[in-house]
Amino acid sequence: MSSVVPQVTREDPVLVHDIKSGRSENPAQSGVMLVRELDDRVADGTAIIRIDHLSKIFRNKTKTVIAVNDISFEVMKGEIFGLLGSNGAGKSTLIRILTTLLSPTSGNAFVNNYDITKDPEKIRAIIGVCPQNYTSDNELTAYQNLEFYGKLQNVPENILPDRIMELLNMAGLADRAYMPVSTFSGGMKRKLEIVRAFIHKPLILFLDEPTIGLDPEARREVWQQILMLNAERTTIILTTHYMDEAEKLCGRITFVDHGSLIALDTMENLRKLIPAGDLIEISVNHMDPLAEEAIRNVSLVNAVSVIEHNITISATNGSRVLPAIIAVFERYAIPIISISIRSPSLEDVFIYVTGKGLDGGNGNGCEAPSIDRRQVS
Amino acid sequence: MTLFIPIMYLVVFGNAMGGSLSHIPVGVVQEVPPYNDTPLFTNAAYQLNHLDQTDANKMLDVITYSDEALAKQDLENGKLSAVIVFPSAVSNDHAIRLYVDSSDSVTPPIVEAAVNEVLLAIGAQNPVVVDEIYGDIKYIQFFGVSVIMMAIFSATMFGGGMALIRDRENGIHEGYLVTPIKRASIIMGIISSGTVRAFIAGFTIFWIDLLVTGITIQSFQDFLLVVLVILIACIGVNSFVISLASRFSAQQEYMSLIAFFNMILFLTSGAFYPVIGMPDWLRWITIINPEYYGVHALRSIILRNQGFNVIGTDLLALLIFSTAMIILGIVTYRRTLE
Repeated sequence: MSSVVPQVTREDPVLVHDIKSGRSENPAQSGVMLVRELDDRVADGTAIIRIDHLSKIFRNKTKTVIAVNDISFEVMKGEIFGLLGSNGAGKSTLIRILTTLLSPTSGNAFVNNYDITKDPEKIRAIIGVCPQNYTSDNELTAYQNLEFYGKLQNVPENILPDRIMELLNMAGLADRAYMPVSTFSGGMKRKLEIVRAFIHKPLILFLDEPTIGLDPEARREVWQQILMLNAERTTIILTTHYMDEAEKLCGRITFVDHGSLIALDTMENLRKLIPAGDLIEISVNHMDPLAEEAIRNVSLVNAVSVIEHNITISATNGSRVLPAIIAVFERYAIPIISISIRSPSLEDVFIYVTGKGLDGGNGNGCEAPSIDRRQVS
Repeated sequence: MTLFIPIMYLVVFGNAMGGSLSHIPVGVVQEVPPYNDTPLFTNAAYQLNHLDQTDANKMLDVITYSDEALAKQDLENGKLSAVIVFPSAVSNDHAIRLYVDSSDSVTPPIVEAAVNEVLLAIGAQNPVVVDEIYGDIKYIQFFGVSVIMMAIFSATMFGGGMALIRDRENGIHEGYLVTPIKRASIIMGIISSGTVRAFIAGFTIFWIDLLVTGITIQSFQDFLLVVLVILIACIGVNSFVISLASRFSAQQEYMSLIAFFNMILFLTSGAFYPVIGMPDWLRWITIINPEYYGVHALRSIILRNQGFNVIGTDLLALLIFSTAMIILGIVTYRRTLE
């Protein structure tokens, strides 16, 4: 993997430079995933979080685990920054380091120019965190939970009641404000946890898998909340392994795998990492190896993968090459059941650069059936 | 831990209960006039001071007084376990008066037996009149007061300390560790909540103790003092338990250690048996045992009707202990997940 997409190291000074200049380079040429220009959602070019060769190693008597391995990147003020990776990739460890819950083994990180090891209290005053674990008090009501955290976050007493009701309304929990949280569904608890994280209107909001376990409607509501907060200039760092969530919300996305940063860029640029521009998926009743070879030889076709009755073709321009492909099927008298052309999704990109799906598979069950990377020219 | 606790029970329980009482402080004084010591007084005082037990420990520490009132005052203030007043005239019809601290149900019979033994040895046949200065206090009344401390410790085990560990086990602490709250505030907050729980438990048991044992509180001032002692003892025990809990992440480990401390602290508090019956090494534990000071202070108020002049030392010791434990808790508390 490292030969395909090497991680960013200290010897790659272009990382910071490129954030500021917005310069774009071909990763295949430079051998490095560069940070490119930000999309519209990145409102400010000033870095609010700087991470410099950060590592975290957990050791016990029998085992050493490198949870974060020499990661460097920056998060811009006002952006929604996505951290994507499979379970155990190191996302939560990285978030915990940035939120002062863990100290790094080596490297530096600065949150709003505060050193995470020297000024943890100052950092805690400007961040809001929605941890992956459920952390509200079940015995307290929704109102009491928010009141408790409002006081911990030093929200002025005179505005706290109004702020609590505002958040409960935002979460759709106003009618349950005075009911114990133990009576809430999982989704309601999660929404309460999310609004609690920004009760004090933090400068930076860390959301660690915020929509895990939520139904589609609840997820959309959470997305709305996140976008509303971002509209108020709150910088948001979001970890998720839901690709659609990252695609919809994040200005820039970084892939983390085995503790290392694999790629970091805008969604648009990440898609370009896959050599093929489009994916053509064709279903048939049977497939002839000669037809497969003929498709491979069609101009602009980069790779062909056949799994049972499904053929996935990656091509530079899907719509232009499609007639030639259909002609091949006609020539070999193979009836086509269905055809679809689509752009590569974020999941395709993730699978391409990490070799596995976001559920942590090693390639056996999760590797993209659509792209055989070994065949990519 | 499975084997450790029974072994500790064997060693601590075996030594804390039923040991030979030694170095019992006893005051001796002779009625005046005459102002010269009589042979009875001189001989008896000498013999009492040299009574040995089978394990060669001196039984009584005899302090000679020239003023009966002063000796009785020291008895009332808890400095002495008994005062023996010898008659001025040596004749069989003059009684020897023995004043005993009857709030301790174990020591008075031993002192009385020692006095009779000495009188027999020196051939004096004076009758001994025993005066229980706090009346007839039963063992259940003696023991019952200490159960208040046990209630406080038990409530503390399942209160603040356990709450801290549960937060860690369930990851709930991640929620408040990322807020600007200070480490000291977390510890003080948990001690405060634990203190409220423990106080309710201690105060409830105090009333139950009064009902079951039939003790009556002499005055409203005594009642307020009891409340004060329970409160300070709660702070002391809570700060100790929470300073331990601040380093633990698993309930099982924590409960094993706390069960051990519950046992050793209660046994060495003097709840069952006077501290002077314990071997020297075990007595050292009482010096740093908050329950000892709590039990002593509560007995002083409830059974002896004593005030600040006697319990002041206990309160001071509890406050020093609490302060040390709060500092320890704050210093050792992990502000991170590591």
